[in-house]
Amino acid sequence: MIVISSGRVRRIIGIVFPMILIPALVLITSYVFPQNYALNSLLIVICALVLFVAGFDRREIGTRRAVLVSVMTALSVIGRLFPVMKPVSAITILSGMYLGAESGFLVGALSAVLSDFFMGQGPWTPFQMLSWGLIGLGAGWCAPLLCRRKWTLLVYGALSGAAFSMLMDIWTTIWTYGRFSAAAYLTAIVSAVPFTLQYAVSNVIFLWGLGKPMGDKFKRIQKKYGL
Amino acid sequence: MRHFQEMNPTAVTVHLLLTAGIAMFSDNMILLGFSLLCAAAFYVMQKGMTNWRFHFFALSMPLVIAVLNPLWNQHGTTILFFMNQRAVTLEAILYGVMAGMRLSAVLYWFQNFTLLMNSEKIFYLLRCLSPKLALVFSMALRNISVYQGQLKKIHQAQKALGMYRENHLIDDIRISLRVFSVLLSWALENGIITANSMAARGYGVQKRSSFTHYRWTGYDLVLTAVSLVMAASVVWAAAEGYGQWQYYPVVVVPSCSVMNIGITGIYVILASLPLIHEGKEILTWKCLLRKI
Repeated sequence: MIVISSGRVRRIIGIVFPMILIPALVLITSYVFPQNYALNSLLIVICALVLFVAGFDRREIGTRRAVLVSVMTALSVIGRLFPVMKPVSAITILSGMYLGAESGFLVGALSAVLSDFFMGQGPWTPFQMLSWGLIGLGAGWCAPLLCRRKWTLLVYGALSGAAFSMLMDIWTTIWTYGRFSAAAYLTAIVSAVPFTLQYAVSNVIFLWGLGKPMGDKFKRIQKKYGL
Repeated sequence: MRHFQEMNPTAVTVHLLLTAGIAMFSDNMILLGFSLLCAAAFYVMQKGMTNWRFHFFALSMPLVIAVLNPLWNQHGTTILFFMNQRAVTLEAILYGVMAGMRLSAVLYWFQNFTLLMNSEKIFYLLRCLSPKLALVFSMALRNISVYQGQLKKIHQAQKALGMYRENHLIDDIRISLRVFSVLLSWALENGIITANSMAARGYGVQKRSSFTHYRWTGYDLVLTAVSLVMAASVVWAAAEGYGQWQYYPVVVVPSCSVMNIGITGIYVILASLPLIHEGKEILTWKCLLRKI
């Protein structure tokens, strides 16, 4: 799955972003606006997103994979509109497993942007994109392990639910209080425990219920259409 | 008659991102107050007095964070009272009010962004960055509404089978998992068929052109240039240290110099550009009606 088609642009981004742009941004913002940690973290997260997307290489014919990414994204956005149980992470994990790590990243990141059109856009959108994207990317990397044993998949689901909540709490702390402090972060984590549990439990339930049927469906599609 | 939302999406996005971006990282309470006012006024102008839940949520932010912030923030010197042997300081409360105002101003700006944008415009914006990403994005947006309709049909069909008890938690979970799983197989098949028919029509063979009806007019260029210049001057002045509020250890309000007031003034003009535009259009419309 390739997003930026020009190879030269991708190579330039791969060198310029981590080596020059990110350190320069950190230096400039911390010099010009000292103690504005929120600005720093937001800029770096956006850079990280571009960097991830630029790292995707040319592999496979793109059209089918692109269409499947859009299908999975739409499904997870619909899932986020459900009450209480949100299958977004579960769908991201499953697409990472069966469509590849890069597609998993894209499904996670795109469903964050798209569902925020319904739930409310804000400066937290890039952070959600990165968190969900990383969950999908990790699932793609661990795919052989996750496919083999069911309990590994459930554990990964529970862990990623907790990790998503904790990653978002970092941002909540920095943005609300202007700086990162361990005490405020702990308070944020503790006050978000109901949400963490909700994410983890709904991930486990969805992966438990959908994991096998979904895997079978992907395999069937792969066999039927030769993906 | 040309509404703000009918302007070139790039111009609108540049303006809104600059306005929201400055508000997002400002600690100037007066600037934030004006930002909140302009954003909320534009929102009400666009949507009317509906969506009370959102207004309540957004406007209660300053209060909520003003209460929460002193709980773990002991910076500040003016101690008001003690709670559980922890000092509650005036500075921490004021910082909380500021952070809450910032949060609700940004919430309003992003709500305005969501109101002004649609999938067509997002596609137009993404097209120049990455055509493939834009395609995936717009297909996903279309699929959402298609799948919602399909979901309803599948749900009705499953219910009609009569295998599920009503108001039964486990059966509710079972039916929603089953419906989702059915939707998934339908969506995957449908997606592959779409991909095949795209390939059959030659998608991805050659560079393709696409049509959009958004044009750059002089007015759009002026809007973009004005917002860029104003935002740049505000950021430059902020980087030079003008208009900066200090909260800890004591609250220091910047003096009434030309620069300090100017920075807020320029930002207020920037933030009220949509309001000014809409107001002008309404006035022109009224005048034209009167002539008839």
